[in-house]
Amino acid sequence: MMTPESLPLCLSGTDAYVHGPGSTFLIIGERTNVAGSPRFRKLIKEDRLEEAVEVARQQVSNGANVIDICFDEGLIDGVAMMTRFLHLLQGEPDVARVPFMIDSSKWEILEAGVKCLQGKGILNSISLKEGEERFIEQARIIRRFGAAVVVMAFDEQGQAATYKDKTRICERAYRILVDRVDFPPEDIIFDPNILTVATGIEEHNNYAVDFIEATRWIKENLPHARVSGGVSNISFSFRGNNIVREAMHSAFLFHATQAGMDMGIVNAGMLEVYDEISPRLLKGVEDVILNRHPDATDQLLSIAEDFIGKEGKKQKVDLRWRESSVEKRLEYALLKGITEFIDSDTEEARKQYGRPLKVIEGPLMDGMSIVGDLFGEGKMFLPQVVKSARVMKKAVAWLTPFMEEEKAANPDQRSAGRIVMATVKGDVHDIGKNIVGVVLSCNGFEVKDLGVMVSCEKILEAAREHNADIIGLSGLITPSLDEMIHVASEMERAQMDTPLLIGGATTSAAHTAIKIAPAYSGPVVHVLDASRSVPVTTALLSPDNRDEFRKKNQKKQEEHRLSFSGGKRKPSISLSEARANRFKCDWETYSPPVPEFMGTRVVEHQSIRELTNYIDWSPFFHAWGLRGVWKNEEQILKTRNAEQADEAAKLYIEANEMLETIISQNLLEAQGVFGFFPANSDGDDLVVWTDENRSHERIRFHTLRQQIKKDSDKPHYALADFLSNDPSTSDYLGGFVVGIHGADEWAKNLEEQHDPYQAIMAKALADRCAEAFAELLHHRARVAWSIESPHQFSREELIHENYRGIRPAPGYPAQPDHTEKPLLFDLLEASQSTGVSLTESHAMHPGASVCGLYFSHPESRYFAINSLQEDQVEDYAKRKGMSRAECEKWLGPWLGYEG
Amino acid sequence: MRSDPTAKLHDLFRSRVALLDGAMGTTIREYSLSESAARGDRFADAPQDLLNNGDILSLTQPDTIADIHRRFLDAGSDIIETNTFSATTLSQAEFFIEDPREQGGRKDPAFFQKVLEDDFLRGLVEDLNIESTRIAREQADRIEEETGTPRFVAGAIGPLTLSLSNAPDHDDPSFRPVTFDQVQASYLHQARALVEGGCDLLLVETIFDSLNAKAALVAIQQLFEERGSSLPVIVSAAIGSGGATLISAQRIEAFWIAVRHIKPLAVGLNCCEGPDVLRPFVAELAESVDCFTSCYPNAGLPNPLAPTGFDLEPHHMAEYMGEFAKSGLLNIAGGCCGNTPSHIAAIAEAVKPHQPRIPRARAMTLSG
Repeated sequence: MMTPESLPLCLSGTDAYVHGPGSTFLIIGERTNVAGSPRFRKLIKEDRLEEAVEVARQQVSNGANVIDICFDEGLIDGVAMMTRFLHLLQGEPDVARVPFMIDSSKWEILEAGVKCLQGKGILNSISLKEGEERFIEQARIIRRFGAAVVVMAFDEQGQAATYKDKTRICERAYRILVDRVDFPPEDIIFDPNILTVATGIEEHNNYAVDFIEATRWIKENLPHARVSGGVSNISFSFRGNNIVREAMHSAFLFHATQAGMDMGIVNAGMLEVYDEISPRLLKGVEDVILNRHPDATDQLLSIAEDFIGKEGKKQKVDLRWRESSVEKRLEYALLKGITEFIDSDTEEARKQYGRPLKVIEGPLMDGMSIVGDLFGEGKMFLPQVVKSARVMKKAVAWLTPFMEEEKAANPDQRSAGRIVMATVKGDVHDIGKNIVGVVLSCNGFEVKDLGVMVSCEKILEAAREHNADIIGLSGLITPSLDEMIHVASEMERAQMDTPLLIGGATTSAAHTAIKIAPAYSGPVVHVLDASRSVPVTTALLSPDNRDEFRKKNQKKQEEHRLSFSGGKRKPSISLSEARANRFKCDWETYSPPVPEFMGTRVVEHQSIRELTNYIDWSPFFHAWGLRGVWKNEEQILKTRNAEQADEAAKLYIEANEMLETIISQNLLEAQGVFGFFPANSDGDDLVVWTDENRSHERIRFHTLRQQIKKDSDKPHYALADFLSNDPSTSDYLGGFVVGIHGADEWAKNLEEQHDPYQAIMAKALADRCAEAFAELLHHRARVAWSIESPHQFSREELIHENYRGIRPAPGYPAQPDHTEKPLLFDLLEASQSTGVSLTESHAMHPGASVCGLYFSHPESRYFAINSLQEDQVEDYAKRKGMSRAECEKWLGPWLGYEG
Repeated sequence: MRSDPTAKLHDLFRSRVALLDGAMGTTIREYSLSESAARGDRFADAPQDLLNNGDILSLTQPDTIADIHRRFLDAGSDIIETNTFSATTLSQAEFFIEDPREQGGRKDPAFFQKVLEDDFLRGLVEDLNIESTRIAREQADRIEEETGTPRFVAGAIGPLTLSLSNAPDHDDPSFRPVTFDQVQASYLHQARALVEGGCDLLLVETIFDSLNAKAALVAIQQLFEERGSSLPVIVSAAIGSGGATLISAQRIEAFWIAVRHIKPLAVGLNCCEGPDVLRPFVAELAESVDCFTSCYPNAGLPNPLAPTGFDLEPHHMAEYMGEFAKSGLLNIAGGCCGNTPSHIAAIAEAVKPHQPRIPRARAMTLSG
């Protein structure tokens, strides 16, 4: 929609295309976009360009007025491919007649593309991301070529999400283009960022409204400018549910075009006719898009379930088990994790047993107790158990409506116990917790999982509301330990007696005994992994064994406390002694390598396909309780248990199938940033300079030094030892942040489809992808640093870190202090470029993220900091400008004294 | 650079239909020059025949070129074109660099990169453009002084025998022998020398391939930005009876959309199969563009039996161009291949009684 006095947007291929007043919404085809079409991406990657040209031809013959062409994919040489493909299209008169939109986040690809256009196309996109100077330079070049341009609402501070930021940035860009570059205003197309709504995060609820209102403002205030956007983003949360997605696209476009949106990149095949959307779905969708009320997302989620397509995955299986009794069939389905017939079998059992609860208490619980026994005997493994749970959940979901009808008659349900679980505030990691939840519910426990980043108040409130028998807390990062202490002390204050379970990667029996248990007079039990959860919870709730178990637990914890305070401490040395014995490099004869670029490089849309080659699979199996070392060449898990190895092999196949789904449906988005900076050490600090003059500090990192007394004359390391302390030596520090987006939303969706197995798998794979991304980026960084040639190492060698240089992360052994993380994020402007944010406890969100510093020194190595002494903490607190108490809080587990 | 002639040109185009000149190559034929005359002393040892390299005559037979300019100016041309239609490194390479195909190689970007960097060719091209402009300038200034009518020199930027739009080899349709950057660099080199030589405006003409032309236009804007001042530019396409550029098959409106951002002084059509074929497309252009329009067609189709080598005689051309002017299609008239000073004199007579076209206001052209 345009005001009548707007100048038309004139474009051309070999034919003219004028989009003027009265023109309809301009649909830009996305099928010649490797990000928009898996098929096109495949053709390009296999160099089947003739068929790729056919895709373009079909789009044009189907009526596309403009086609979007994009090759932004890690493995594609974008400049060369853009040039080749456009040359080919120019030779196809049917295709060459329409204007082309050259789509890339890389300027060099846009430039290569525009050099192939005889007509007037659109370059998509530029922004103020890298500042005004660069923006003006690019706009001037585009003006010379006479192309139209898409300007993203993005500036030095990042992507505009709110109405205020969108309009502010667009106005600023417009004024620069029109007043300073003399850019024709009718050739400016704004993309004010269509961001995903219904993510479950409250701040995202208004994203569609922000876009629509920003569009209205742009059309009213920035004469002649157009508004465009990538529409499919809006519905990202509903991946896998095309009916809901199509409805969301149509409803969004309906409102956005009314506000003046002129064009959009749309999969025309994924657009439902607005008037044909069922009224119930339309209301749900519009409530979300227009952010009409806070429950809109939840309501749409429940409506969406009705539209989830039947899973049509066909398996070739022996169906003889179908001939047995319904009890046997349910048992078989539970043991084998088969959901295919569960609805009809459950219904059959319900009719046979008369009441839904009897089905649960009878055949279903019987089946699950067999699963529980087999698991307890080590005859079933976690992945299988989780699949069984999926079957159970589906059966229960089938019965739930019938049970609700009867609820009045049965207010009291039998369960082994009610457990409220949560990942504590500030932490986002939940794979382990989810597995524990599944295992417990398989064993008859009623589990209320509160999710991640849950505040203490919410946990206690839920415990009261559900009348919890046990509370379970989980966390992966160290600050979560403090939060657990806080929860324990709040439980004490509330005079509760509910047992508290502690689990998660950083937790330990010792920490639980020394720090958490003393804060709470009720039982506090550390649970090492999921397989221990059932015996622990069963014992805690068993009237017969309860008291004995509690006593044993207390005794063990008492021993821990004694051994901690009772002088069994490791001998340590003073900070000055440790510093005197620092790692020394002969800086006279060593000159540090110089990176090929300074500042940061952003890797947008890293190919997940490429990452799969860098995955270290062993930790993936560990997450599933399968211990061993994965041999990639033979594709087997080296373990003494042959059945475990078999299970791992199956899991590996399923994981790879899921990776294919992830890749073909773009379910995960990998974004990263890395960079290099002039830097030197100063004492135990790392000073990053503003420039090569090395006179002005940009950021200062602080490192910690080992203080444990060593038998040999090994040095007492600190990370600062690996940089030269002489500013006249040109030394450099690198850093990186990578994140895998989309797993949380996807897993949530799967959870709601009663598929905990896939949900856990999704998160575990996202974690592996993040680690793989970190490994890949480190490889690229080392190449950029010229300390490695591109093919020097095999992938296996890379995974095993047989290379020069290290990438330690704040919060991990070499520098356990998480408060150094925000410094790294600031230095790299990582949140803006990667979308990875930090919680109040400095956990990275999404959870599948990795960060770290890069050191290039040939003798740089990983080491562990622990047993920190008061002298160092005092000194460290001073250097950081923090109080000693605050430092001690963050460094708790690594203090060698009682803080 | 000379003072900006834009205002003077605007006055001229508003007051009457202005006259361009005719064909340099056709008129040169009247002088029956020999191969050795074309070579002169400077190129006596050149490896290939140079008689067909008309641009070289600016260096070897400057008096002939000056005489031709004088005759067109006498015939009434307000604007004369420099003798630089092929004065680029890429075009001159055809005469001075051995074709790599002779040695089993091929013409590819690596070959043309050597051409672009060839010192002999670079020096030659600079001399050709500067000297040609100087010769035209001298004649234009002299006649302007004699007659009191302002005369202008247009630096002629012609097409190439290379295409950025089409593949020379059907088996390898994504291959291009030369890159956009190379074409742009070659045109930048030429345009810089033309401006240095003192032309009043630039004329990017005989556009068979719009992408080549875009490289020229990008180069020209780059030059203007470098110099901090600009000159008027006229853009003229060569389109066939189908209404599209002859090599890259771009239709006239699409072409206009692709070049209008440079705000040309005029846009028009030239060359091709003659005025009758161009008539509907000149009309289309006149209808839609917001700048001045020009047309200088060939004198019909080539005809080896005709004295000029082309079908149409001066009175034929006069009839067509007179009608164009009468219909209000034109601001600038002239002739391309086959048009001698007599043709131009006849055309000048024919357009004289008619009012020039009034360009449409910008907003009006945008009905879409």
